[in-house]
Amino acid sequence: MTETLSKARPKNAAPWAKLGNRVRFASWITSLVPAAIFIAAWLGFQLDFMAALLTIFLPIQLAFGAWAGFYSYGRKGVNDGLLMVVTFFFSAFVLVLLASVIWSVISEGAAALSPHFIYQNNRYITGTTGLEIGGAGHAILGSVIITGITTIITVPLAVATAVYLTETRDGARGVVRTLLQALAGLPSVVAGLFIYSMLIVSGWSSQVGVMASLALIPLMLPTISRVAEEALRLVPSELRNGALALGAPSYKAFFMVTLPAAKSGIVTAVLLGVARIIGETAPLILTAVIANETNVNPLAGGMATLPTYIYNFLYLGDATSLQRAWGAALVLLIFVGILFVGARLASATRVGSKPKRRKK
Amino acid sequence: MAIQPEDSTLESMSNDAAPKRLKLVSKPSRTADKIFFAVAKAAGYSSFVLVAAILFFLMLRAWPAFESQGVVNFIFGAGWNSTSDPQIFHMGPMLYGSLLIAAIGVALAVPMAISISYFIVFLAPPRLAKVATVIVDLLAAIPSIVIGLWGLGVFSPVAAEWGRMLSESLGFIPVFSNAVDIFLRSPFIASLVIAVMIVPIISSITREIFSQMDQEIIKGAMALGGTRESIFRKVILPTASGGIVGAVLLALGRAMGETVAIFFVLNLTFDDFNWFKILEPSGGAVASLVLARFNEALDTELSALLAAGVVLFVVTLIVNSIASFIVAKAQPWRKL
Repeated sequence: MTETLSKARPKNAAPWAKLGNRVRFASWITSLVPAAIFIAAWLGFQLDFMAALLTIFLPIQLAFGAWAGFYSYGRKGVNDGLLMVVTFFFSAFVLVLLASVIWSVISEGAAALSPHFIYQNNRYITGTTGLEIGGAGHAILGSVIITGITTIITVPLAVATAVYLTETRDGARGVVRTLLQALAGLPSVVAGLFIYSMLIVSGWSSQVGVMASLALIPLMLPTISRVAEEALRLVPSELRNGALALGAPSYKAFFMVTLPAAKSGIVTAVLLGVARIIGETAPLILTAVIANETNVNPLAGGMATLPTYIYNFLYLGDATSLQRAWGAALVLLIFVGILFVGARLASATRVGSKPKRRKK
Repeated sequence: MAIQPEDSTLESMSNDAAPKRLKLVSKPSRTADKIFFAVAKAAGYSSFVLVAAILFFLMLRAWPAFESQGVVNFIFGAGWNSTSDPQIFHMGPMLYGSLLIAAIGVALAVPMAISISYFIVFLAPPRLAKVATVIVDLLAAIPSIVIGLWGLGVFSPVAAEWGRMLSESLGFIPVFSNAVDIFLRSPFIASLVIAVMIVPIISSITREIFSQMDQEIIKGAMALGGTRESIFRKVILPTASGGIVGAVLLALGRAMGETVAIFFVLNLTFDDFNWFKILEPSGGAVASLVLARFNEALDTELSALLAAGVVLFVVTLIVNSIASFIVAKAQPWRKL
């Protein structure tokens, strides 16, 4: 909203956004000179990168930042310069750390990935077996089955909860909303323990795939219902009331007017919910045996999933096991990435979002 | 239960005497509508059932452990031994370790998260801001097992080196002292990994608050001669502080419930409290305890693990409720 506002104004409405030559000169000096000194010192004296960064680069950079502030704006600019340096430093640090996560998964995972890694299962594979055979096919299948069952159970429940929160005027909505928020912070291991204590210890079932699906429900429910609630709320009430005024019964008004209008928001909710649970590890370890073979029956026998596959090989810890873990992590990351992009695309066309400004 | 138009009251239009307030309440009359609303209501109440069931079944199975160990001893005592007679299951070091790691992780994450949000909202050119936003948001969706893999395979050696440098240069401060000369699997590394996990959580809330901030106030402060720094310190931070505190508490809850990522980068020590030596390879985490002992656990130990789950659930429930209350207060534009 603010973005569109500031874009709607002519350019000279923000005089502070214009930088004078003096400021520009100072910022160039400030960004280049300390970096040059740092690289020279680091390469010249063979210092440790992190130590040099903290003891050489940061102080010089702070000094230059303060100078640039003073040079551009006078005495009160000094703090400005320091703030900018600190902000840029921390931001760069975060972005490097985060990019390192993504990059290491992609680079290490690509080395382990091969066609048979996608479709073969883990039979006869030990921690030291070479990468020529064996793969995460059974885990991919298991992930799809377990996540699928959870999704089939949770989506209607979560959407109905969202309907309860938006369409009814029940007195307990506030409490339900608070409970959902509390569930959103439920530690995943507790969800696993819950199903374990309720259904497995009592002897109702052994550690099979469907138990894992059940354990994921409390983790998925709050995500979907919260996003779906916002999507339903964005539907203009005139639409709903119009349908009601025309004599439609409430359920028809909902299914024929409100739900179609909120469709993309609901799709986003489901995708985010799946992305939330597809990487869950702890509940699956507690509720389903990690199988080495392909098993498509969620009611009998163990079942592997991508996260537990990674966990298993990370636990073994040999060099090739780690490579397998990286490979599976890349597959998992691709799944999450697809869901993430899908959610962004779906929410880009959400009803009630601000229309795109036409270019003049 | 009934549906109503947005304004639930109507002024009666009659001219005589005092206008009476009429309440317009339509009750669902058709069977189909009744079913529709009943289903919605049932779904809404299902979260009551879910939370109650979680507490009930965990408590049911955890009760033997609480009974044999004593509630206070179980929560605050030290020692975890299934082979001794009598068996000892005290989760004090784990609970303290969870809190310690979460606190350090949050302390590391908060300046980073605020910086990146300030950078994205106020400093970065739009294109760079968009890229940074996508990276941060994507990181929020990355599974914790992948973070654990990264933490074990890539980050731990690097961070252990940082720990060694810290200990060599600042070892005279007790916090950074290290008597065993092993720097891997320390609470310090676990906190850094946790910080990487929770920066996206804190920054997404902070970013939203920053971007929803009233631009006129900031421009007004500028017109009065404020500088970037003074505006940040005196206008932006005070306005956003409520939301940031809430976000931090949410992240704290997440950090305490984190399981697999910590499991691989932390050495669990059951017998002693590691009060503050964050560079030494001994620490604790409740969720990791469950994972570490689960496969070998029998009878009482299993019950003790479930009891640990109960404690974890209650602690995170409290932290999260306070957090969501504060976040909701700080984001009035989200209200109905």
